[in-house]
Amino acid sequence: MSAPKTIPKDAQVMIQILKDMGITEYEPRVINQMLEFTYRYVTTIIEDAKIYATHAKKSNVDADDIKLAIQCRMDQSFTSPPPRDFLLEVARQKNQTPLPLIKPYTGPRLPPDRYCLTAPNYRLKSVQKKVSSSAGRISVPRLSVGAVSSRPSTPTLGTPSVQSVTTKVGTPVSLTGQRFTVQIPPPSQTVTTKTTTPSTPAVSNVLINPSLIGSKNILITTNMVSQNSGGESLKRKHEDDDDYDAL
Amino acid sequence: MAAVQGSLVEEKDIKTEPSNDGGGNNNANDGRVLSTSPGSSASSGSNKSTTGAPEDQQTLLAVLQFLRKNNLTESVEILRREAGLPEDSLDPKGGDSSGAGSGSAAGGVDLEGVDASSLLSRVTVSSSAAAQAPNKAEDQPDVNVVLSAYSQQGDPALYEVYYSGLKKFIESVLDCHRAELSQVFYPLFVHMYLELVYNNHENEAKAFFEKFSGDQECYYEDDLRVLSSLTKKEHMRGNETLLDFRTSKFVLRISRDSYQLLKRHLQERQNNQIWNIIQEHLYIDIFDGMPRSKSQIDAMSGSLAGEAKREANKAKVYYGLLKEPEIELPLDDEDEEAENEEGKPKKKKPKKDSMGSKSKKQDPNAPSQTRIPLPELKDSDKLDKIMYMKEATKRIRLGPDNLPSICFYTFLNAYQGLTAVDFTDDSSLIAGGFADSTVRVWSVTPKKLRRVKSAADLNLIDKESDDVLERIMDEKTASESKILYGHSGPVYGISFSPDRNYLLSSSEDGTIRLWSLQTFTCLVGYKGHNYPVWDTQFSPHGYYFISGGHDRVARLWATDHYQPLRMFSGHLADVTCTRFHPNSNYVVTGSSDRTIRLWDVLSGNCVRIFTGHKGPIHALAFSPNGKFLASGATDGRVLLWDIGHGLMFGELKGHTDTIYSLRFSRDGEILASGSMDNTVRLWDATKAFDDLETDDFTAATGHIHLQDNSQELLLGTYMSKSTPVIHLHFTRRNLLLAAGAYNP
Repeated sequence: MSAPKTIPKDAQVMIQILKDMGITEYEPRVINQMLEFTYRYVTTIIEDAKIYATHAKKSNVDADDIKLAIQCRMDQSFTSPPPRDFLLEVARQKNQTPLPLIKPYTGPRLPPDRYCLTAPNYRLKSVQKKVSSSAGRISVPRLSVGAVSSRPSTPTLGTPSVQSVTTKVGTPVSLTGQRFTVQIPPPSQTVTTKTTTPSTPAVSNVLINPSLIGSKNILITTNMVSQNSGGESLKRKHEDDDDYDAL
Repeated sequence: MAAVQGSLVEEKDIKTEPSNDGGGNNNANDGRVLSTSPGSSASSGSNKSTTGAPEDQQTLLAVLQFLRKNNLTESVEILRREAGLPEDSLDPKGGDSSGAGSGSAAGGVDLEGVDASSLLSRVTVSSSAAAQAPNKAEDQPDVNVVLSAYSQQGDPALYEVYYSGLKKFIESVLDCHRAELSQVFYPLFVHMYLELVYNNHENEAKAFFEKFSGDQECYYEDDLRVLSSLTKKEHMRGNETLLDFRTSKFVLRISRDSYQLLKRHLQERQNNQIWNIIQEHLYIDIFDGMPRSKSQIDAMSGSLAGEAKREANKAKVYYGLLKEPEIELPLDDEDEEAENEEGKPKKKKPKKDSMGSKSKKQDPNAPSQTRIPLPELKDSDKLDKIMYMKEATKRIRLGPDNLPSICFYTFLNAYQGLTAVDFTDDSSLIAGGFADSTVRVWSVTPKKLRRVKSAADLNLIDKESDDVLERIMDEKTASESKILYGHSGPVYGISFSPDRNYLLSSSEDGTIRLWSLQTFTCLVGYKGHNYPVWDTQFSPHGYYFISGGHDRVARLWATDHYQPLRMFSGHLADVTCTRFHPNSNYVVTGSSDRTIRLWDVLSGNCVRIFTGHKGPIHALAFSPNGKFLASGATDGRVLLWDIGHGLMFGELKGHTDTIYSLRFSRDGEILASGSMDNTVRLWDATKAFDDLETDDFTAATGHIHLQDNSQELLLGTYMSKSTPVIHLHFTRRNLLLAAGAYNP
């Protein structure tokens, strides 16, 4: 009867690899991670190789198929940084341009809004049919939420159907919502506001006004109640306040 | 010109000789490597048909080979017809050269006797020198061509013989030269091994490795281990560091006498494969003077690319500090707050800032104020400076008999996840970057962290009231600490902006995030590195920041540009540590290739290369006067560098594990170092700087004389229970703060 705690052969191989590479201190979970990785990687490669072999109408998988499979996977998952001469060339070009002058008194120095993460990344669902009085601002929403990036954006609040429209911003900046203002005509006033949290019951008609995108903060808050700092869009205003506050 | 590139020097020497007797030169077969200019060799080749036949044949064939390689087909035809050579006589010679046309100096070398090989080598060397110098493999972007710089240099089974032969020779040489010539062993060994691997001689490669890897210096152990796992050509692809090692030349600094010895020996032997490899892959920086001793060589070597060429460290560096702006205290009717803090009756007379007004003349070593654009001083910055000056007056003067107190901030329950720490300059906030992708900010003072109110609440406050700045802050959510979420990988670098408005964090996900400390939300994500970013730092003047990562470049950014402004490329391996110089005009980067490079922000050029560490560098610190640099690495040594001269002048031994943090005290008297061995050590920096004597001779030859005075310079060792020290910070009053995560 073998000892109660024998390490499986694969794990022994991993331990040996670590020893050969000179790694003496490691957490025990590293072995498990390495095993998982190895198993997944080898399985992927062999499956790919099988596909290539069948494509080439071969009955058996041979070394060429494996080599091809490894090559394709390497280019896909395990990319390495660019080669040095490429970097040198790019660096040379970039370093030729002189450093840009700094304009004084411009407030918080941030990139243009489309490159910042300060826009709201949700929009509110329009509930009621009441049309806003300032009808001139009505326009077809030209934005979709979270459709730009491949990463999932933070869960949007109350968007049942995302209208997939072309986005204005083409940069693959993940998690960047689109800047848009929401026109919420409260019963008494008609002003443009930034989005508020959807908990407000008075949301009537939510329109998206792309014409205000990119402009500096033109926002006047209404007397909406139950505001909490749900919208990141509100933060833009704060930075303007910081211009004048010497804290 | 002391630098030698293979036999370039000889060729130039010969070209200047007025009477270049081609015939006489070609008669020399006994190992004098006098490479004739290509024109004369070709002409003398055709003139030789009247002299001795076998020699003549060989020369003709050599010349034909050379012409063919340079695609001078018509000349080939003409020569062949005139010399009456059969057509197939070219093939044996042609088979030996691969990597055609890519400037491989060794193409065509074979073993068929001294005459042919020496002739051919002469011809090909001259061809390479004349035409192919710019076309070296390193310029070609294609990886395969890069790797094909390893042309077949001879019988693989004989590599061991060549290497042992060289070993025997070097061991028989005079003592004073032996240390210098032993530098050749390591790069030669690695290149020969890789050549065997590349040409698919796996067994010979393994045998070669086993036989000679034990002879190498101990500090190359890690590299050798990596090499030992590389046995096939496929393994070499994708390893960028290795490819860089291959294409860049390993720099050796050897005195002229030692070099002559080596050259003479290698050229008089029959098989000069080693000589070819040396020409191809090594750059021998010759200097006139005494050969260096083993300890001197050991101090400077260890990096992945050898040492630094002397020209690399010759550029002028403006290491002085920028002049401090003169700040006047505002009169009381303009700004009551500052005056109230003063509490003194200075209301009528504006007080000048005394820091910068001492020297009216420009420091010759300081850059001009406008060398790089810097942001202007806002009112808040001026108030900050006033606070700074006031604290500076209360600063404790440190010295060997007045050591600082150390306050250690231990992060409990971090579960080994604490990866980066930073303090604000006035020591009011600590930020920690963690392996779970979060960034946490704590307030060190009793004042809690407040964020600005939301937009709706802001509407409700009275904008005209005097304490509007207080009213915009939200008291309800005030807390001791705030957590910032946003990264998708461990946060490896963290840095506060000097005006305490922003926080930068760099992460394994390849982005650098700018967080606002007013609202505690993320403002910008800077993408550029597509690989983990190991370190980031704000400039001391704000607005600019640098980052360095796995892709071997460091980038300079400005907060309002979404793309980097400068790219500092040149390291062979990851950039692990990036720091700004106090005058913001220079950036220093430490890397896993064991070198430290100083870059000029204005031009993006590398102005200094410092070699000497034997492990990846993890800590860098500038002295407050900007003249000196201290660096710490995994080898446990702290090295001190004189930036102006580009030399190492001090070595502080004592730590037994990686040094992760270095900091000079506010006036530069004490250097504190924190390490993974759970200790903080204090070193006497003033004494180390005083001992520095650099005269012209030292600067010219680069000979350094390191004193073994680490023990004298060590002022104290302070151990923590089980907490590695990740970060050190001197407060404005010279209290030392340290931070680390408890690691039971």
